[in-house]
Amino acid sequence: MSRFPFRKVLIANRGEIACRVERTLRDLGLASVAVHHAVEAGAPHVRGADEAVELRGATPVAAHLDIEQIVAAALRTGAEAIHPGYGFLSENARFAAAANDAGLVFVGPEAETIRLMGDKISAREFARAQGVPVAPSVTPTGDPEAFRRDAEAIGFPLLIKAAAGGGGKGMSIVRSPAELGEAARIAIGEAERYFHDGRIYAETYVERPRHIEVQVAGDGKGRAIHLHERECSVQRRFQKIIEETPAANLPPALREEICDSAVRLAAAARYRNLGTVEFILAPDGRFFFLEMNTRLQVEHPVTEMVTGLDLVQLQLEIAAGLGLTLRQGDVRVAGHAIECRVCAENADNGFLPETGVVRLLEAPSRPWLRFENALEVGLKVTADFDPMLAKLVTYGHSRDEAIDRSIAALRELTLLGVRTNIDYLGRALDHPAFRAGDLHTGFVAEHAAALAPRTPAPGALHAALIAAALGFREFRALANDAPEPYASIGPWRN
Amino acid sequence: MRRIQSLLTPSSAAFRANDAHNRRLVREFRDRQEAARHLRPQRDLDRLARQGKMLPRERVARLLDPGTPFLELSSLAANMAYGGESPSASTIVGIGIVSGREVIVRSDDPTVKGGAWYPLSIKKSVRALDIAIENRLPVIHLCDSAGGFLQLQSELFPDRHMAGRIFRNQSQLSKMGVKQLALVFGHCTAGGAYIPALSDYNVIVRGTGAVFLGGPPLVRAATGEDVGVEELGGADMHTSVSGVCDYPAETEIEAIHIGREIVAQWDRPRKWDCQREPVEPPAYDPEELYGILPDDIKRQFDMREIIARVVDGSRFHEYQPDYGRTLVCGFANIWGYKVGVLANNGVLFNDSSLKGAHFIELCNQNATPLVFLQNITGYMVGREYERRGITKDGAKMIMAQACSRVPKFTVMCNGSFGAGNYGMCGRAFDARFLFAWPNHQIGVMGGDQAANTLAEVKLNQMKRNGESVDQAEIDRVWGETRKAYQEQLSAYFSTSQLWDDGILDPVDTRNALGVAISASLNAPLPEPGYGVFRF
Amino acid sequence: MGFSITLDGAAHEVEILELRPRLKLRIDGRAYTVTGEQQEEDGRHRLEIDGRPVSFARVHVGARQALRIDGRTFEAVLVDPRDEADAAAAGHDHVRAPMPGAVIQVHKRVGEPVSRGETLLTIESMKLQMALAAPRDGVLAELKRGVGETFDKDEIVAELEPLDRAGD
Repeated sequence: MSRFPFRKVLIANRGEIACRVERTLRDLGLASVAVHHAVEAGAPHVRGADEAVELRGATPVAAHLDIEQIVAAALRTGAEAIHPGYGFLSENARFAAAANDAGLVFVGPEAETIRLMGDKISAREFARAQGVPVAPSVTPTGDPEAFRRDAEAIGFPLLIKAAAGGGGKGMSIVRSPAELGEAARIAIGEAERYFHDGRIYAETYVERPRHIEVQVAGDGKGRAIHLHERECSVQRRFQKIIEETPAANLPPALREEICDSAVRLAAAARYRNLGTVEFILAPDGRFFFLEMNTRLQVEHPVTEMVTGLDLVQLQLEIAAGLGLTLRQGDVRVAGHAIECRVCAENADNGFLPETGVVRLLEAPSRPWLRFENALEVGLKVTADFDPMLAKLVTYGHSRDEAIDRSIAALRELTLLGVRTNIDYLGRALDHPAFRAGDLHTGFVAEHAAALAPRTPAPGALHAALIAAALGFREFRALANDAPEPYASIGPWRN
Repeated sequence: MRRIQSLLTPSSAAFRANDAHNRRLVREFRDRQEAARHLRPQRDLDRLARQGKMLPRERVARLLDPGTPFLELSSLAANMAYGGESPSASTIVGIGIVSGREVIVRSDDPTVKGGAWYPLSIKKSVRALDIAIENRLPVIHLCDSAGGFLQLQSELFPDRHMAGRIFRNQSQLSKMGVKQLALVFGHCTAGGAYIPALSDYNVIVRGTGAVFLGGPPLVRAATGEDVGVEELGGADMHTSVSGVCDYPAETEIEAIHIGREIVAQWDRPRKWDCQREPVEPPAYDPEELYGILPDDIKRQFDMREIIARVVDGSRFHEYQPDYGRTLVCGFANIWGYKVGVLANNGVLFNDSSLKGAHFIELCNQNATPLVFLQNITGYMVGREYERRGITKDGAKMIMAQACSRVPKFTVMCNGSFGAGNYGMCGRAFDARFLFAWPNHQIGVMGGDQAANTLAEVKLNQMKRNGESVDQAEIDRVWGETRKAYQEQLSAYFSTSQLWDDGILDPVDTRNALGVAISASLNAPLPEPGYGVFRF
Repeated sequence: MGFSITLDGAAHEVEILELRPRLKLRIDGRAYTVTGEQQEEDGRHRLEIDGRPVSFARVHVGARQALRIDGRTFEAVLVDPRDEADAAAAGHDHVRAPMPGAVIQVHKRVGEPVSRGETLLTIESMKLQMALAAPRDGVLAELKRGVGETFDKDEIVAELEPLDRAGD
């Protein structure tokens, strides 16, 4: 008899995370339902599920954001729970509520918690109330003069953010009072455009900040634990590309203080299921609450690697009402794990997204590696979805070993047909500052020159040219089509 | 097939003397060739550079497929004419590979008198087109010529094998379906204008290429019309208005690129199926040829030693080894191609002539190309041999050879005198290709014999006229005759007149024959057939 | 004769020296012998350069080639001399009508910068619509025909001028 009150789970997501969730469902003996837009028919996450439902939508993204259709799909297929993955509807309180209203188990927190944490301003207020450090901030009230005065009181530089924001959209750094008005105006515009919510706020901008987050789990009744921290400081375009755990060079006392703050917050919120509390860590050791993500994180596998836990299983257990089966003392961390996000982008040109078709895929396979992906040869990489193609997660007994293994795995990873950041990731990991753990969110910008591709040594360069030459029809024709005896006589002149 | 057993002693004084002598000859040949190819007045080179033009040999090099050979023909044409003013007869001709196709390249040389055609330039071009016709070789013309060298018009314009023959041959080639491409790098004036016009395809370079029957000065003189080169015959006009030219190119490089792409569209030739074996290099070092060829033309040597350094694996199947021994006949392979070799090991007697005629017939039956290695002082003379009918036996050999259906190739290895030249496929007998070695001499007889003969005639004349014998006068006749003969007998004189397709360093013979045989197989093989043999 | 290949944007000359018995190439003055070329099912290629084994993966993406060799991805393009010539010669300032017809739409204003290949005008002729594109990068200097106006074959309907000259 299954210990789960549900036997079939609809995964309201796609790509690698849908495949990831399907895997745990299979391990637990639960059935899976995939959803997909027409353009994804036959995709790995569809094939990997026991059932699949096609969602209609003007765009593939719109289909994946269609709450009514997805809930209806769950009901129609007899699914009793919905796992939202990350992105799409995973932090949509309305979706969680709609699922609950339809009698479905939402694998995540209460809609109320999602709403609370989804609004950055209310989340900050909540955190402050729990004694979690929050960066000093001001919120525009409609009187620009007052806004400017309040801002000056906190001091510059300031970071302007959208209340409903995320992913760096609507964010800007303001270094002087003179820039404030214009920056706020632009931020409001962007916030309205992206989030349909023009509210913004400005907070103290920490120079050279590190991004430290804590994986928490709560039973919804006030008990919460943490599964340690992750460092996600290596970012481009305000999005993480390399994450690791444990964070490097973090004094144990500070680590504990940060993790305890996160647990305090989760407990106070009577947080149910898994979540992540994100912090900004200043070089001087001050840290500030950034936001709480009320869902599974992209980078959750690094935590799984060092704890030996299956985070999706934990999510399902809590959602099933089995409570928090772990105590804080049960959570042991061993070794080090690093995740590299393989993205379809041009790292040598502003990390702009790239499109193409996956023509060749060879992923390394080792006991200490996870290559989380939903790739296959022939897959069209379009601008329809996020440019992240896969995650390469590597375990090592030490941080150095994890780095070396990651670099080796990246070198072995072959994904051709669309430009990716694979080589860039390798260069980033190999940079002395990364190896030294000297990280901050400006890492990519600070080391841009050093991280640019190097001209290979003549031997390697010439080998590549020879390989290329032999691939061109015109070259091959010359190399192979010369008739005999001419070809054998060679470049003889009389 | 058995390898030839060489009896050579490289350590012998004779070998070393020969070696020194022949290496000196080859060095002289290379020096002359180098000068003909590259030695030009600086102002001519500067002028070309100013016009943004490549040197003609650079054009050829860029046209050819990389890593492939180029068999240049008659590199020393005109070397003893016009006071040496027209190196290589101002024309580069050779066989090579363009876009995987075997072609013959004919290029003007604008570094000499603006690429003007001397009489021998025309002879060389006509020969190139004859080769194209005989061997069905596509032609690529690299045009950059001011036109005929007007001071010598009587030697280049009116006769059957003069300038008009170029255009006649071009037309014939087209009729035969043999393709031609012209790349117009410079001017094609007057008759020269017909070269691109009669080519199936042509490309013209913007700015430097021009095609017109009369250039601007001639037009001004003829009609008073004042017109510039571009307007009169430039690339844009011809490719967009007149249709005389097909493709405009911005640069010479681009013209060559377009040309190569055009050739890449051509069908690949279907050659006739000459028997082939896997290729094997000669077992003996070809450089030993220098030690075999005598430092005195009158000294005999064994042609088998030559054959051993030219043919695959030095393997030779000798036919009738014990009969007619002054003519060595047998089968061998060159770059894999089965050939029948006829090589002189002395004067042709009745038996050697009959053996040669018979062997030629065997090769024609067997579709085996013939290679003649000449070192011949003629057919045997004297009462005894006339009575045995040396002339009709020689005639049989000439008949068999002249009527051969298989391609023939001749190498002048040492000497070629008298009627032996005919029997052994001299120039008049349409060898597809005829090459000479630097030591080679050719004439109706040797210099000594001619001097002796003429001195004899002079003596008889004096006697007949009842004059006293003036030994000084006879010596003068002898000396002058010999000197004139020696000069005209030389390989340089011969090749200057285009009596051959060029002098070869002996070690290059195998490669040259490989290219030549390969090229010859493009022309279909006719049925065998002969005239009346006199028995 | 050489080939010009750009590798990650930098041009290199690869020259063929010999074809048989082994392929011999020259790059930047260094000669290499290439042997034992093999292609496997999965798109992997193997060859030996001067006897040293090299393994790589290759796919063609349009005119580009993506290569994975020695843990690094390269992009290679074979340069056709005519591409460069085209780019250089794209220097025609005149936009000529390829056939007689009338302008039905104007896409750019005089003084506006245009990129090579961008549509300037749509014309109609013989019931066939056709876009007239800028032959090179520049600034639209003059429009000789407006909407509804007709022209003959080969007539100049628009003129460009270089970007840097536009300010004069």
